[in-house]
Amino acid sequence: MKSASARSRKSEAGNRKRQFDTADKKRGATWFGVPPSGGRANAGVQTATGRALRLSQAFFCLLISAVCFLNAGCIHREPPADLTILNGAEPETLDPALLTGQPEMRIVIGMFEGLMRFDPRTARPIPGLARSVEISPDGRIYTFHLRTNLVWSTGPPITADDVWYSWIRVLNPATASDYAGQLYYLKNGEAFNTGKIKDPSLVGIHVLDKFTVRVELNHPTPFFLDVCALPVTYIVPRQTIEKYGDRWIMAKPLPSSGPYELVYWRLNDKVRLKKNPRYWDAAHTRSDIIDLLPVGSPSAALNLYMSGQADIVWDKELVPTELVDLLLKRPDFHKFDYLGTYFIRFNVTRKPFDDPRVRQALALAIDKERIVTKITRAGEQPASHLVPDGTANYLPVGGLGYDPARARQLLAEAGYPGGQGFPRFEYTFNAAAGGAAEMHQNIAIELQQMWRDELGIHMDLRQLEWKVYLNAMDHLDYSLARSSWIGDYNDPQTFLGMFTSNDGNNRTGWKSATYDALITEANEQTDLKKRAEIFQRAETLLVSNQVPIIPLFFYVGINYFDTNKIQGVYENILDDHPLQYIRKAGRESRVEGREPENANQ
Amino acid sequence: MNDENSRVTKVEGREPETGSMETILPSTLDSRLSTNYGPGKQAWQRFKRNHAAVISAWYVAVLLALVIIWPITLKVAGSFGPSGVAFAKIHNPDHLSNAQFAAPDAQHWFGTDVHGRDLFSRVMYGAQISLLVGFVGAVVSLVIGVLWGAIAGYVGGRVDSALMRIVDILYSLPTIIFVIVLLTTLGALLKASPFVQQSAFWGKEMQILLLFVGLGAVSWLTMARIVRGQVLSLRTRAFVEASRSLGAGPARILARHIIPNIFGVVITYIALTVPAIVLYESFLSYLGLGVQPPMASWGTLIAEGVSQINPIRIYWWLIAFPGGVLVTTLLAFNFLGDGLRDAWDVKGK
Repeated sequence: MKSASARSRKSEAGNRKRQFDTADKKRGATWFGVPPSGGRANAGVQTATGRALRLSQAFFCLLISAVCFLNAGCIHREPPADLTILNGAEPETLDPALLTGQPEMRIVIGMFEGLMRFDPRTARPIPGLARSVEISPDGRIYTFHLRTNLVWSTGPPITADDVWYSWIRVLNPATASDYAGQLYYLKNGEAFNTGKIKDPSLVGIHVLDKFTVRVELNHPTPFFLDVCALPVTYIVPRQTIEKYGDRWIMAKPLPSSGPYELVYWRLNDKVRLKKNPRYWDAAHTRSDIIDLLPVGSPSAALNLYMSGQADIVWDKELVPTELVDLLLKRPDFHKFDYLGTYFIRFNVTRKPFDDPRVRQALALAIDKERIVTKITRAGEQPASHLVPDGTANYLPVGGLGYDPARARQLLAEAGYPGGQGFPRFEYTFNAAAGGAAEMHQNIAIELQQMWRDELGIHMDLRQLEWKVYLNAMDHLDYSLARSSWIGDYNDPQTFLGMFTSNDGNNRTGWKSATYDALITEANEQTDLKKRAEIFQRAETLLVSNQVPIIPLFFYVGINYFDTNKIQGVYENILDDHPLQYIRKAGRESRVEGREPENANQ
Repeated sequence: MNDENSRVTKVEGREPETGSMETILPSTLDSRLSTNYGPGKQAWQRFKRNHAAVISAWYVAVLLALVIIWPITLKVAGSFGPSGVAFAKIHNPDHLSNAQFAAPDAQHWFGTDVHGRDLFSRVMYGAQISLLVGFVGAVVSLVIGVLWGAIAGYVGGRVDSALMRIVDILYSLPTIIFVIVLLTTLGALLKASPFVQQSAFWGKEMQILLLFVGLGAVSWLTMARIVRGQVLSLRTRAFVEASRSLGAGPARILARHIIPNIFGVVITYIALTVPAIVLYESFLSYLGLGVQPPMASWGTLIAEGVSQINPIRIYWWLIAFPGGVLVTTLLAFNFLGDGLRDAWDVKGK
């Protein structure tokens, strides 16, 4: 009796199980994405386990729905991004006046716009908020005419007063903008920034009427329109800044002058931008929602890209160097030349690096050839000078090469024969978001070993998070620091101007009146050939005699994205890619399995 | 078999069963057994029958021997002519070479890393750091834990409550976060202090010292609890009472009668603490808080290996060897600890 009932129950369970299986097969494809094959595989399981199976499946459903419920806050409200970009380090700031890094810049050129903007193909300046510009015959007076249909994303109009406010804010010493040096070309710009004059109306920017701004320069500056396309000169919302102070970028809603609005900035998660419908050129904005993810580890970036969770990877630190040889053979890895130099900064205010001979010795003991062939491996050129060879209006100089014997001799002359008595020092480099910055660390290990073998000096490594690292550099809280500089425009000035005494991006403590005089002289020079020669003298002083920096190599850019899917990312020598031109193409025949929801958008 | 069972019951009958019993009890009480086997010897017999534990003991012994002998070999090799010098140079764990990412072969047994450094040497030198931190951490936990637990258990009363509440509070802190905070704040403080800046001693040594302190500081808590429990049950025993009535002071009773009797438990727990600390150290180094380059520990080596995992090309030796050595070592220590526990803990048999 007992056994019979048990058997009948068993078969009943089996029946139900089979029904369930067919139901599962029918619904499988849509129901939580469980593939129908799962049901078929289970059909072979003994009928007695049917109930347990069903129970466990019910429990599984419950779990899934619980998870859905818990996540409902995000999942249902948050549409998927049209474009996901891996952007390198977590941004330090999104304030156009304060940013200095490339990751920040790439986001900010979507959120704000200046009088000019960069052409996505050539990286030359093209009209942005300004409709047109008139340049006086002597090249010193620029008159910008703003477009008349400009409004903030919140509604109010953008006028010439906003331009004046934004530029004066950059020069205001209280803002402490590292990039303020870009506006030193303005009459009295430097004096106002260094606090010598207090009255902003003396600075060479004047509002003529609601839509006209006149800019007076100290001397003709051939690349001034490029400067007007740099994020530091972008137009920012005065009222929001005055209301919220330092935290204005977190204001909601944040008025935006560019093609995108900030939806949110979640630390170490992502920056989400959505299309600004009130942007003057909104008709040509090609993606509605863009996610920019801070990812620092090249292997993590590659894995995200390969598994289809990222569309574009475009940071120079996100290329797994040990795979470069294989990756460059793939059609979706794009190698291009751009104006970027990897170098080491010395803190010349710290002993023993206050002695130029010590700095020269360290520079001469580096086998740069080994670093580019063994570590970076993408075809970078070893650098003995700062300004990349392809730069316009420029003559390359010869700097310090690889000469360990002379390095030892110089170190001995400085009082440390064989490295004796040389204090231990630290080499600071930036960790990347969410992972070790492998390339920087590998280069650091190479340097550590080279200096130990050749000079007998001992170096410790200090890895800092990007924001902390930038802060340490600003406050000269380092001995040696890994650095890089990507040209803001195609002229030697963007590299060499950085090391003048008052420039916020100097960050070495090195001040040389001779050098400052040479840079000023070069910029006053209208003859481009003579100007290049003066720059050459300045650069020789920088990289051969005084050596506050050691150039290591010139970057080669590698971005990776599938050209069949992504349109609007062009190679250019500044590695600038305005966000509004980028678009992910519709679905193609190759089945990806993942984003069906994006298919028809 | 029968014989063994009777022995077991006999031993159980004369608690406490461990350590220096022979010296306390007259051996005539149990003439058949104690003439043949002392408790320590019995434990040893039982341990020998546990194959996993014996193999693990051999593994640990061989590993320790290798870790000690390998650097000496490299030092000595230099005096054996040019081939010896070349051998020492190739296997120098810090030597940069052109043989990047060489697969394991006769020359580089574990292959090489991104800088062309010999991975076998790096694993061996890494083992020095990892095991050193493990042992020192275990010793720190031993000293603090035994003293703390013994005092709490023996003195009892308010002292016991106070000491144990401190342990409870420390227990309630998330261990690894506590260690991370301790390492970073202590590290920053020490680096800023003029004393450290003047000496040539900071840098790598400081980092390891900090690891000792940080990991030792959190690993003694369980030890203190175990010891306290043992001491609580021991201090009321007749032989302790006898000793006290003969005029022995608390320090003498603790040192001569109680601590020797908890030896078995302690040694077992130590064997289980070492792998736990090795794992902690690896974890911290994996996060970049442990030893700094160019020094390596197993954690940093594994971190380097993991960064090479990608869908295109995997240098498997970079993760397989350091990971394999770490896992087998942890397993060996755990088997060893289990074997020791079984050997000493007669009741559990």
